[in-house]
Amino acid sequence: MAINMEEMIKVSNLTKSFKDKEVLKGISFDVYRGEVLCILGPNGAGKSTTINILTATLGKGGGEIFFKGGRINKKLKDYKQVLGIVPQDIALYEELSAEHNLRFFASLYGLHGKELSKAVDGALEFAGLTDRRNDKVKTFSGGMKRRLNIACAIAHHPELVIMDEPTVGIDPQSRNHILDSIRRLRENGITVIYTTHYMEEVEAISSRIIIMDHGSIIAEGTKEELKESIGNEKRYTIELEENKKVKEEELFSIEGVKSVKVNGDILEISSLKGIENLDRIIALLSDRGEKIRNIASEAASLEMVFLKLTGRKLRD
Amino acid sequence: MRRFFMILKLDIINLFKNPVLVGANTIFFVLLILIMGFLGSGNYADSKMSYQYYLISMIVYGMLNGAMTASNCFMERDIKKANLRIIYSPAGSFPIYFSKILASFLFDYFLHIIVVGILCASLGVTIGVHPVYFILLMAPVEFAAAALGIFFCCVFHSEEAASALLSTLVSLLCVLGGTFFSLDGMGSAVAFLSRISPVKWINEAFFTLSCDNSLHSFLLVFLSAVIISVLLVLGCSLTFKTEDYL
Repeated sequence: MAINMEEMIKVSNLTKSFKDKEVLKGISFDVYRGEVLCILGPNGAGKSTTINILTATLGKGGGEIFFKGGRINKKLKDYKQVLGIVPQDIALYEELSAEHNLRFFASLYGLHGKELSKAVDGALEFAGLTDRRNDKVKTFSGGMKRRLNIACAIAHHPELVIMDEPTVGIDPQSRNHILDSIRRLRENGITVIYTTHYMEEVEAISSRIIIMDHGSIIAEGTKEELKESIGNEKRYTIELEENKKVKEEELFSIEGVKSVKVNGDILEISSLKGIENLDRIIALLSDRGEKIRNIASEAASLEMVFLKLTGRKLRD
Repeated sequence: MRRFFMILKLDIINLFKNPVLVGANTIFFVLLILIMGFLGSGNYADSKMSYQYYLISMIVYGMLNGAMTASNCFMERDIKKANLRIIYSPAGSFPIYFSKILASFLFDYFLHIIVVGILCASLGVTIGVHPVYFILLMAPVEFAAAALGIFFCCVFHSEEAASALLSTLVSLLCVLGGTFFSLDGMGSAVAFLSRISPVKWINEAFFTLSCDNSLHSFLLVFLSAVIISVLLVLGCSLTFKTEDYL
């Protein structure tokens, strides 16, 4: 489903401090109906604080949040009614069955009778847990709990789903299931705000990305726009048997090479896209008597965007 | 209102599915009463009197310990995470803490009545000629204890801190109130402290009801417990913050 540009949430100059520590430094962004907005950033960037304020669980320091044009604190009940939240931790009653959990949480949003049963059936199917509906949650694997955690957030058919790192600590199969389910939510026109520090997840599901670091938004746009923003670069990582005498200056003499980093036996070279200079780099290394153990090339990635913007890797 | 009853029902189910809490409010007190009654039987004319004394005093101790049931139901680590979804929902904040107070009260009250009933029948002891008043007086005391447990959680923002402080406070008040042994022969200072302990008043109300068949302190303790309950619920509404759940 195509994203229309109807503004759903507007965050304006949001601040938050814990004691003397300023964790959000006046961030502003919009969320449009039908999009999957990924908030990407390392631990401590302010993602979860932003989410906790957006879910009206944590008070804001300053700034405003608007929902469909009105301040959320003015119509909090209406706002919460259309909100589905997937917290970072598993938020389920372990002693109850999957169905009992879903029934209870969906009923908090006013569903009852046949409507409730239908919603619960739909959510169980969405999570792929129909055959385990009567089993206690404590008997589930971590991945199944994560899926049920999401199902509990969508059972009442919310318009906006907020997910705070929902794939932490799960197996690849369950992660793929969760990413597929987010695509399905998007196809059904549901707006999703998704925080993560996994680049590959952002690449897979995002309509738009916000990159946060140290409580500020440092970049915003589609993944294509963000990659464009760091220029037309690609990166080679060349592993040598033993770096004998290659000097950075020599590599800079090759056309298109923009940066060189020698890290022991590993060379990291950034080069302009479109200039085929890998053969010349290899030739230079051969001339200097170097033996190449491995070569990897990488087009512009979100990791490179983050590296360029902050000077460090996302998981540093 | 519908949402409130949904939450209350689930809180009660969760309490009854917790074997530690069920055991602590039943088997533990039965054993405590039997052991204390047996050990103290030499101090009374017959063992029945000893069992009656400890049935009443230990049930008072059990009622006050209901504060820990409430704090567990409200902020125990695993339950707390799932309770967070209630905060996310449009239910509002009042049902979150008030349902926990009510659920803990109903849970403790129900189990303690069963314990009293079973022990009265099996040991042949009595709670006086006004058993209805005895059961009725238990209600506001149980409720006040549950409200105290939730209030401590709201103030100290953690179940561990609240339970540790409550446990110390309840034990101290019970010792001063002469729940475990009489403090009468321990000097004037201890006797004074004992007199100002609210547990002393609660004990006296239950003992005069069951031993003297008198309603002398009934109304005073009943109303005091109701007023304290109302104040504690108001205190919860002033101190409860949803972010404490994060």
